[in-house]
Amino acid sequence: MHSLKLLPRRIYAFVVRDFRLFVSYRMLFFIRVVSILGVVTTLFFISKIFVGFTDARFSQWRDPLAAWLTGLAVLNYFMTGFSSLASAIRQEQVQGTLESVLLTPINLPTIIVASSAWDFVQATLFAFLYLFFGWFFFNVHYAGSFLLALVFLILTTLVLACLGILSASFAMVFKRGDPFGVFLGTGSALFSGVFFPTQLLTEYAGSGLSSVSKVLPATYGLDGIRRVLLEGRGFAEVTEPFVTLLIMLGLLLPFSLWVFSRAVRRAKREGSLIQY
Amino acid sequence: MQPSAPLNSDRDSVLASNAPIALGSGERTLSISHLSKTYPVPFARSKAILRRKTKAPVEALRDVSFDVYRGEIFGLIGRNGAGKTTLTKIVATLVQPTRGTVTVNGFDSVHDDERVRMQVGLSGAEERSFYWRLTSEQNLVFFARLYGLGGRVAKQRIAALFTQLELEEVVRKRFGELSTGNKQRLAVARALLPNPPVLLLDEPTRSLDPLAALRMRELIKALAQQDPPATILFTSHNLAEVETLCSRVAIISAGEIRAVDSPTTLRSINSDAEVIRLTVSGLLREQAEAVLNSQFEHLQFAHGEQVELISFTRRSADDRLDEALRKVHQAGGTILNVESERPTLLDVLESYEAQK
Repeated sequence: MHSLKLLPRRIYAFVVRDFRLFVSYRMLFFIRVVSILGVVTTLFFISKIFVGFTDARFSQWRDPLAAWLTGLAVLNYFMTGFSSLASAIRQEQVQGTLESVLLTPINLPTIIVASSAWDFVQATLFAFLYLFFGWFFFNVHYAGSFLLALVFLILTTLVLACLGILSASFAMVFKRGDPFGVFLGTGSALFSGVFFPTQLLTEYAGSGLSSVSKVLPATYGLDGIRRVLLEGRGFAEVTEPFVTLLIMLGLLLPFSLWVFSRAVRRAKREGSLIQY
Repeated sequence: MQPSAPLNSDRDSVLASNAPIALGSGERTLSISHLSKTYPVPFARSKAILRRKTKAPVEALRDVSFDVYRGEIFGLIGRNGAGKTTLTKIVATLVQPTRGTVTVNGFDSVHDDERVRMQVGLSGAEERSFYWRLTSEQNLVFFARLYGLGGRVAKQRIAALFTQLELEEVVRKRFGELSTGNKQRLAVARALLPNPPVLLLDEPTRSLDPLAALRMRELIKALAQQDPPATILFTSHNLAEVETLCSRVAIISAGEIRAVDSPTTLRSINSDAEVIRLTVSGLLREQAEAVLNSQFEHLQFAHGEQVELISFTRRSADDRLDEALRKVHQAGGTILNVESERPTLLDVLESYEAQK
C-alpha cells in the first residue's frame, strides 16, 4: 500500500531524471524532430506514385500516406513498449547505476514502470509528430474515434511491454544477445503491416510467413487503430483484434513478471547486477 | 558535529588501551547468522553438457556470524577479496546469501528485502553509481524521490547534507566534473538521505584529503551518537581509522570471520608484548649495557646526539619498565623520553593472515 502511494512520485522521479539527461544532449531533440519531418515528406512524395492504383481489397490503404504515418507512429510506440525496459536496464547496468536504484526501497514492478516512463512520453510526442506533420503539411485526414484508437494503442503497448519485460530479463542474465529484440524489432516492421497490407504476405510469401504476422501483437494493434482512425469503424467492428490483444495480455503479463523476478534473483545470486 | 580526537598513530599510547568497549544501546540492530555465500559459475550445467571448462565456484563467505548493536560503529577489516564487499552487499540486499540469514531491525534481508532497504543506507566505493550528466543536486533529488521524500522535505534534507558534507560549491556541478573526493562525499550524502538507522560505509574516507577525512570521521562519530543513533558497519583499509572509530572490529580472511572484539582486546589477545624506547642522557652505552643486559628481552642500543637510545620488549602487565627506569637512574642517567609501541591492528591482521 505504501509502495502504491509512492508510485506516482517514483515515476515522476524517473521521468524528470530522464528528461534532464535528454536535454543535457541539446541537439538530439531537434535532430529527431527534423528527421521525422524528413521521413513524412519523403513518404508524401512516394505516396504520389500510387495515386489511382489502390486495390479495392485494401480499404485501409486508400491513402497510402495516412496508412504509413499511422503505421510509423504506432510502430514507434510499440517499439518503445518492448525495447525501453531492456534498454533502460542495460543502460543502468552499463552506467553502473542499477545497484544504486535497487538499493532504494523500490519494488520490481515500480522499476519496470518507472524506468521506461520517459521513453513513453517521448514516443507519444514523436508518434503525435508523425500524425501532426501529415495533417498539417500534407492534408492527411483521420476519421473515427481517437479515444478508441488510444485504447488500442495502450492495450497493444501493454502486450509489447510484457515482451519488453522478458527482453529485460534476458539483459539482466545474459547481458547481450536478446532474441526478443531481434524478433520483434525486425518482425514488427516486416510482418505487422506497417508499410504494406499483411494480406500481401499470404499472396506472395505463402501461409507460412503470413502466420508470423498472426502471432505479433503489433499486427492486431495496427489493424485495430487503422480500422478506427482510417476507416472510421466503431468498437463493435474491432472486437476481434481487441479480444486477441486482451488474451495476449492476460497470458504474458504474469509470465513476464515471474521471469523478471527470477532474472533479478539470479543476478543477485551470481552477484552480477552491475556487470554488463 | 562532535569534535573527534586526532587519529592514533601506530605508536599508540599505553593509556588508550584501557578504553572501554562501547556497544551502543545494547539493542541488536544488525544480526548476521551462519552466513555463507558461494558465487555460482554462470550456466555451469550448460557448460558441463557442452563439456566446456568451468572455473570452480567462488566461496566468498563461510559461516559468518556476528551482531551489531544500536549506535555501535562496527569495523570490518581484511585484505582485498576477503569478503567485505560481499558481506556489505548481502546486508544491503543486493546479493543473496547461499546459506544463513541477515536481519536488520528484525527484517530478513531476503524475505523482507524492501523493508530492509528502508533501514539501510550504503555508501560504496563505486564511482559509477551516479548519473554523470546530472548535477550533484539533481542526482540526490532523484534518489530522494525513490526513498519517498517529497519536494520541500527532500530539498531541505539535501541542502542540509550539502552543508554537513561541505559540498555547497558543487551543488550545480555535474557529477562527472566532481573531484574523486567530492564524488565520495556525495555517495555518503546519498546514503544519509533517508536518515537510515543502519549505515554501511565502505571506505568512506577513501580519496579524501586529510582534513576532509578528519571531518568525515567526526560526522561518522556524530551519527552514532545522535538521537536516535545510527548503527554503522564500517569497512576501511585505513586501520588506524578503524581503531579510532570502531568499538568492535571483525577480522575477515578468506571469507571467514577470524576474530571479533574491541581493537584493544584484539591487540592484546594477539600479543601483549610492547616495545619500550627510552631516550637517556648522562649514561654511556657500556654503563647502560652493564645495568640492563641479560634482564630484558630484545634489548638494543643506539647512539644518538649526546643521548643513548635504549629499546626492549616487555609484557604489558610486568614490572620491566619500572625496573629499567630505576636502574638507569641508579647508574646516573637522566631519562628524557619514554615511548611505548604496542601491536597495531595491522600486526593483528598480519598474524591472522599468517595463520591461514
